[in-house]
Order: sequence, then C-alpha cells, then structure tokens
Amino acid sequence: MTSAKTILLGAVAYDPKVVTIWEGIREHFQEQGVPMDFALFSNYERQVEELLKGHIDIAWNTPLAHVRIRQHTSGKSLSLGMRDSDRDFHAKVIVRRDRDVKSLKDLEGKTLAVGSADSTQARILPLYFVAKEGVDLNRVNIFPFDTDLGKHGDTGTSEIDVLKALNEGRADAGTVGDLIWVNEQAAGHIDSSKVEVLWTTPGFDHCMFDALSSLAPEKVEPFKRALFAMRWDNPQHRKLLELEGLREWLPPREEGYASLQDALKQQRKEQ
Amino acid sequence: MSAQVAAMAVDGGELPLGGGLLALVRPALNVLEPRGMLAVLSRAPSVREDLPSWCRVERHEYLGVERIAGSFDRHLIARGEFSVPLPSTVHEGRLVPRDGRLTASDVLEVAPLPSGADPFTGFAPRGARVEPGGPGYPFTLNEREHVAPQEVAKLYDQAVTSQWDATCDIPWDKVKPLSFPLAHAVAQIMTFLAENELSALYVPARFIPRIHPAYAEVAMFLASQLADEARHIDVFLKRARLCGVGLGTSSVTTSRSLLSLMETEDFTEMAFLLSVLGEGTFLDLLSFIERHAPDEPTAELTRRAKTDESRHVHFGLAHVRYGLANDPNLYGRLEEAVRRRAAALHGVAGVPAPVQDALTILAAGSAEPEAVARGHEAFRELLDTMHASRMRRLQHAGFTAQQAETISELHTPNFM
Repeated sequence: MTSAKTILLGAVAYDPKVVTIWEGIREHFQEQGVPMDFALFSNYERQVEELLKGHIDIAWNTPLAHVRIRQHTSGKSLSLGMRDSDRDFHAKVIVRRDRDVKSLKDLEGKTLAVGSADSTQARILPLYFVAKEGVDLNRVNIFPFDTDLGKHGDTGTSEIDVLKALNEGRADAGTVGDLIWVNEQAAGHIDSSKVEVLWTTPGFDHCMFDALSSLAPEKVEPFKRALFAMRWDNPQHRKLLELEGLREWLPPREEGYASLQDALKQQRKEQ
Repeated sequence: MSAQVAAMAVDGGELPLGGGLLALVRPALNVLEPRGMLAVLSRAPSVREDLPSWCRVERHEYLGVERIAGSFDRHLIARGEFSVPLPSTVHEGRLVPRDGRLTASDVLEVAPLPSGADPFTGFAPRGARVEPGGPGYPFTLNEREHVAPQEVAKLYDQAVTSQWDATCDIPWDKVKPLSFPLAHAVAQIMTFLAENELSALYVPARFIPRIHPAYAEVAMFLASQLADEARHIDVFLKRARLCGVGLGTSSVTTSRSLLSLMETEDFTEMAFLLSVLGEGTFLDLLSFIERHAPDEPTAELTRRAKTDESRHVHFGLAHVRYGLANDPNLYGRLEEAVRRRAAALHGVAGVPAPVQDALTILAAGSAEPEAVARGHEAFRELLDTMHASRMRRLQHAGFTAQQAETISELHTPNFM
C-alpha cells in the first residue's frame, strides 16, 4: 500500500461517513488491482495546498477547490472524473409565500438567508446570478449561516439552516442548492403552504477529482479505470455510491465552472 | 395494467412538487419502460422550477414544458435508466376466489415456483419487483428441485385447516386412574414420544432460514409442522403427567439417535431421515398406542397426532420423490446418509429397554404374566409392521425392493 505505485488520494473529512466511503472505494480499487490509499484533511484549503505541493496525487475537490487548482496551475491541472450529480447543479431562490416576493427585484429591501461563505451552491453562485439578474445586493439584507467553514458547503448544514429560517419566518427568502431543495421536498420535510421556489439559477458543475499535470500516467489511467468500473447495481458499490451521492461516475468537463470562476474574479475585484 | 407502458400522463392540478405531486409522478414513472414518456399536467408555476431539478437528481430526463390552451403546463419526462426494472418474467395470472375461498394452491397456480432463485432478492416476495443492488442473503436452498415439490401448497392448505387445540380438543376429564404398572408404561411412552417430537421441532427449524423465500410455501409448511410438533409435545407431556408417577426415562440410545438427526446438514437427507423414515415409523407406533390405549383421551390424542404426522410423511415423500426424479445421484446419497447414521449408532442393540417394556405392558393392559405374553407378541408384531411399512413407503418413494430392504434394516432402533 505504500509502494511508489500507490495512488494517494486526498479527501475532506466533512462527516464520519467519509472514512466508510474511502475505505470501501480503496477495497474496490484493490480488487481492480489498483493500489490506492487516502489522506483525510479537515478543510479544502489545506487539501488544495497539499495537492499543489505534490504531497498527494489526487484531490477529491469541491467546485471552489477545483477552480482554485485550475487558477494555480493556469489551467494545466488534470481533471479526472466527476459524479453524475455534479453535472448541471442549480441553486434555488426560495421565498415565503406570505412576504410578497414575486420577482427577484422584490428581494431588495427583504431579508435573504444564505449558506456558508464558501458554499458554491448556497452562497457564492446564487448571489452572483441574482446580481447578474439586476438585483442590487447592497439593498438586500443578507442573513448568512456561516457553518462548517472550510468544508465548502459539503455538510449541507447551512442549507438546512436557511430552510429552517424560512420556515420560522426569520427570513423572507433564502438560497439553497437544488439537491437539498428537491430531496427535502421529496422526503416531505417542506411545508409547501409556507414556502415555494421563486427562481432557479443557470446550471453549474460541482465536484471534481483533480491532479497535477505531472502525475504519472501509470497512476492516471488505472485510477480512471477503477473509478469508472463502479456500478449502481453491484451491492458493494451501491452502498458507497449512495453514501457519496451518485449513481455513476462520469468523465470530467470544464465548461460547468465558468460561472464560478467569474464569480470569484468579481469577489476579488470587490475586495 | 400491463407490465410495460410506453407513455402515460398524470394530472397534477395545483399540487407543488413537495406537496403531493411526487405521489403521482413516481408511481407513473415506475410502470414505464426505460425511456418511456410521462406527461405531467400542472397548474402550479413552481413545478416549472422544481420538476427539472427533481429529474436531474433522480436521473430522469426532463424534456421540457409547453403551455396548453393558456391554462396549464404540460411537462414531459423520459424515464431514466436507474429506476427499478420491470419484471422480466411473464405477468402473473389473475387470482380468483373459489366459493369464497382462496388456498395456497390457488396462489401457486397464478404465481408458480421458479426453477431457481437469486439470493440477492432477499426477503422480497415471489413476484415482487426487486430493486437491483441489494445485499446477498445467506440462503442455500435456491433451487426448486432441492426444496419445493408441487404438493407443498396442498399440504400447507391441509395443515392450516387441520390445526387443533391441545387445551380442550382432548377429553382430558375422561382420563382414568391406571394400575401402577400401566401408569408407568403410559408415562414412559409419552415421555419417549415427547422427546422424539422435540427433535422433530428443532431439526426442521434449522432449515427454514436456508430456504429461499421464493419457495415460501415450503417454509410455511414447515412452520405448520413445527406448530404440530409443539402441540404434540404439549399433549404427550400432559398425558404423561396425568399418570401421577412422574416422567419416564430418557435413554442414551434415543439421545444418540436424535443427535445424529440434528447433525444432518442436507435438507433432502433431513426430510428423508426425519419424515420418511422417522415419522413414517412413528405412524405405526402411534397406531399401536391408539389401539392399546387404556382410555379415550390417550386414544384421541394419539389419533390426532398420527393425522398430523401423516402430513409430514407426505411432505417428506413428495420431497424425496421429486428429488429422485431430478437427481440420479440422490439414491446413493440417501443410502449413504442412512449408513452414516447407522455407523454413528454402532453398538446400539435395539429399542431402548424402557420403551420396549412400556409398549409391552401397554399392549398387555396389565402386569399379569399371560397378558404380558400377549403384549410381548404384539410388540414383536409392531417391529415387523414397521419394517413392512418402511419397505412399502420406500418403494413408493422410488427405491427398488433391494434398496428399500437395506435402508429399512439400517434404520435406527429408536424408531425416529
């Protein structure tokens, strides 16, 4: 496991289940004849640094971490794969039915609950897209839930906080990712007499396996082969895929990160 | 509804996605074939935002929305590839009650037993749509020919209607006081019967968790058999205690014989040793006790137990006959199982002495020497009858006369 051939993968321990996931995937890789081990980090900033220093071979990154890797490597990093659920992600603007928010412009003068500062889906991109639609964010009372900073919104805690604030009437509107929004609705956790969706952002892509361009092809190809061999109808794989929130691994694509890159550029200008 | 539907529509009215719409959409998608088309009619504007997101998360393809007649939306969805697959087998026939009754045999007609079963379907009932990717179960009896003769449903139906109550179906208040030797004999016989029936409760129970639920009727029949054995243990011990002389003796011969039964690991071998040979032999024993019973309750409980046991023998015979018809090696395996068991009981001379004596006194009806001579003769005849019945039963199961002779001679002197 410690030979030079072993792929060392980095992941962020945002939940105890992360250990179960990667131990299971490691076992699957071993069955495929691909030696792999993993290192867990407490936050994505550290993981990005360690990948750039070459201390790990591959990082399982959030969109924010992925975009940072692209910036630091001037777009030369290798993108290796993503979840089906990472493609065409959207964010939602949810409103209370009793607060008379009929259009995005109506958000001005209202309280808008948002997720963690480093959550792509609950904060960075919904605010970016809402501003692009002509809403003056300086006139919106932003009500932030900065929980689990460093985890880039992985835990979903801040999104649940946003929905709770809406339900309790502490906010007039709120922003969450579509995954949490439809899953909470499907599970019957949303009181649709109180809240409804007002607007859906354009699509964007989510997590990505990143590596430096210097990563040996003897690691890149086996990694992809083992990863894409996982199947939803295989009982061992399915347990892991369910925990990681996907049905199948898909090849990478870059176009889904353009909006986030632009949003971060604007943030830097404003600072 | 047909198993495969290419397109359908649901009217969601003003239901929001999280306010009940999914209860219409999900079942509709569930009956569509993959790529099949669902139209969702809706008057709720929020559905325009939520339905595409839900489709993305569930891996269905959202194809778009159209405003119809300026009054409602028509959303189109293509069913995704990750949904629960439709059953590949032919759809079940229609179950129809006959004279207000529905039997397990009727069910078997519309939902026949498959020739093989997949351990990954777990406890899903036969005919259910099974979502792929579930865990494998440790069932080992996964083939019809090793577990499920066609007669099982009929035998289960019979078992269900033949249950009786050990508390009040025996005329317990008619138990007569017996002379001391006869009271001892009855207590001994009832102790022996209960000990053997305890093994008949425990031994088949070990196999139920190994039977694939696709053959649930077999597990259900065995459950009825276990209930029968429980009732027999109950009545035999009640009758023993009513003798007022304590319970009888448990012999090492009996204990060894029953342990060898308990150690049998193959379902067909177990059914053969326990039901065909053991319980088959017990039918003659119970007839003997019924014939010589000192009072009506003893005769009645023995008669009832015999009726139940006869059902178990039928199942064992059906099981073995079915196996023999499908597996030419089974003859050899069963004979070998009987030989192994006989070898394990090597040195065991004959029927346990306390049981032999008790049966002799029971048949004699008293301890008078002349009566005892008759009792002894009756006991010897019983052994001959048991052998002749085993021969008949074995040949009925499909053995040759010579094989039957060998097997019957090797059968345990403990009867069970």
